Amino acid sequence: MKTTILNGGLAGDRFTDHMQHLLQAELSDNGGDATVWTLRDEKIAYCLGCFDCWTKTPGICRIDDAGRDVAASIIASDLVVFLTPVTFGGYSSELKKAVDRSICLISPFFTRIDGEVHHQRRYDHYPAMLAIGILPEQNPEQEAIFTTLVERHAINLHAPQHAAVVVMRSQDEQTLRSVLHAALPARETERQ
Amino acid sequence: MNAPKNALLLIGSAKKPGASASEALGGYLVRQLAARGQASETRYVARTMRSESRIGELLAAVERADVFVLAFPLYVDSLPYLVTKALERIAESRQGQSAEGAAQFVAIVNSGFPEAVHNQTALAICRQFAKEAGFRWAGGLALGGGAPFSGKPLEEAGGMAHKVIAALDTAAAALALGQPIPDEAVAALANPVMSPRFYTLMGGMGWRLEGLRNGVYRQLRARPFAS
Ligand SMILES: Cc1cc2nc3c(=O)[nH]c(=O)nc-3n(C[C@H](O)[C@H](O)[C@H](O)COP(=O)(O)O)c2cc1C
Repeated sequence: MKTTILNGGLAGDRFTDHMQHLLQAELSDNGGDATVWTLRDEKIAYCLGCFDCWTKTPGICRIDDAGRDVAASIIASDLVVFLTPVTFGGYSSELKKAVDRSICLISPFFTRIDGEVHHQRRYDHYPAMLAIGILPEQNPEQEAIFTTLVERHAINLHAPQHAAVVVMRSQDEQTLRSVLHAALPARETERQ
Repeated sequence: MNAPKNALLLIGSAKKPGASASEALGGYLVRQLAARGQASETRYVARTMRSESRIGELLAAVERADVFVLAFPLYVDSLPYLVTKALERIAESRQGQSAEGAAQFVAIVNSGFPEAVHNQTALAICRQFAKEAGFRWAGGLALGGGAPFSGKPLEEAGGMAHKVIAALDTAAAALALGQPIPDEAVAALANPVMSPRFYTLMGGMGWRLEGLRNGVYRQLRARPFAS
C-alpha cells in the first residue's frame, strides 16, 4: 500500500514532526511504504485561482514547483494522510498551501453527490484520506469543525474512505500510538 | 455603543485587484460603510503576504479597524492558503486580547458551487478565528456561485445582483451601528442566484469554451499523473 504523508506543521513545530515519525513507524510495521512531504521545507507557490489546471494545461498546474509533485504523489497513493495543527478548526496554512494546489486532480465538470453540486472525477481511483489534527488540548468546537471539513474535503477529492482523528499535544506516547493504530485500518479498506 | 469609525477590508482572493468576486462583494459592503461616514481601507492578501513589512502594515491596520471585513473565495471547503496564513499571523499578534470592546469581524465568502451551504465550514473557521484572535464576531455571509460577480463592481452587475445588494445593504446598516449582521441578510444571500441546474449547465459550457479557446478541448479530461 502506497501512502503519502503531508506534514503541515509550521516552523518549529516538533510535535507534528514527532507524530509523523510515529505514523511512519506504524505504517512500516504493517509493511507499508510512505512518501513524506514536510511542506514547510518545500517550495510551493500559492494557488493563483486561474483554473489553468482545468482549461489550459488540463490536470497539471502551470506553476512548475513541488506543488505539482505533491499532487502527483497524492493521486498515485492508496492513502493520503494530512497531518496538521488544527488551525481555527481547519487545516494549517502549510497544509493548505499544498491542498489548494491539488484541484488539478479533479475535473472541472460537474456532478451531483447527495443532491449537491460537486466536480466529477478526473482519475479512476483516488486515495483514502486520513486527517490527523493536532490541538494543544481538548476543544470540542474545533474538533467538530475539523471533522466536518475532512468529510467535505473527502467528498470533493472523491476519497473512497476517510477518517478524521484529533490528538492533543499533552497526550503521552502510548496514547498517541494507540490512536494511530486505531485510525490506520481505514487505509486497508478496499477502494471503490 | 460608539459608532464604528474605521473599516478594513482584506481581500482574500489571489486574483488581480478588481478581478475577483470577493472584491465585488467586500468592496460593495465597505462602500456602504463609507457612505455612512466610516473611513475605509482595502488590502489584498496576495500583496500583503509577500513581505514582512506589508504584513506589519496589515497588523497595524487591523488594530486601527472598528470593523474588519474579510472577503474571500472558498478553496477546498475552507479558506485559501494565503488567508489562513494571514489569519494565523493576526491571531498570533493579538494573543490574549479580549473581544470586549474589540473590532467587529465579518466574513464574506463566495464559492464556485451554486449552493451557499458549501461555505458553512469556512464560516465556522472564521468564527473560531474571531474567538481566538479577540474580535467580536459580527457574522458571516455566504454566496454560492460567485463567479458571475467577479471583475466588476456589484453596482454594474445588473439584475442578478439585486438580491445580493439588498443583503449587503442590510448588513451595512447594522454594522454601521456596531450591531451584528441580521439573520435576514444571511438568509437572503444564501438563496442561490441561479438554479444549480442552470449554473452547472452554463459552467460546463464555460469550461468547454475555455478549453476550445486554449486549443485543449479534447484534453480537458486528461490524466497526466495516471500510472
Ligand atoms: C484551489 C481552488 C479551490 C476551490 N475549492 C472550491 C470548493 O471547495 N467549493 C466551491 O464551491 N468552490 C471552490 N472553488 C471555486 C471558487 O470558490 C470560486 O471560483 C470563487 O468564485 C472565486 O472567487 P474570487 O473571484 O473571489 O477569487 C475553488 C477554487 C480554487 C481555485
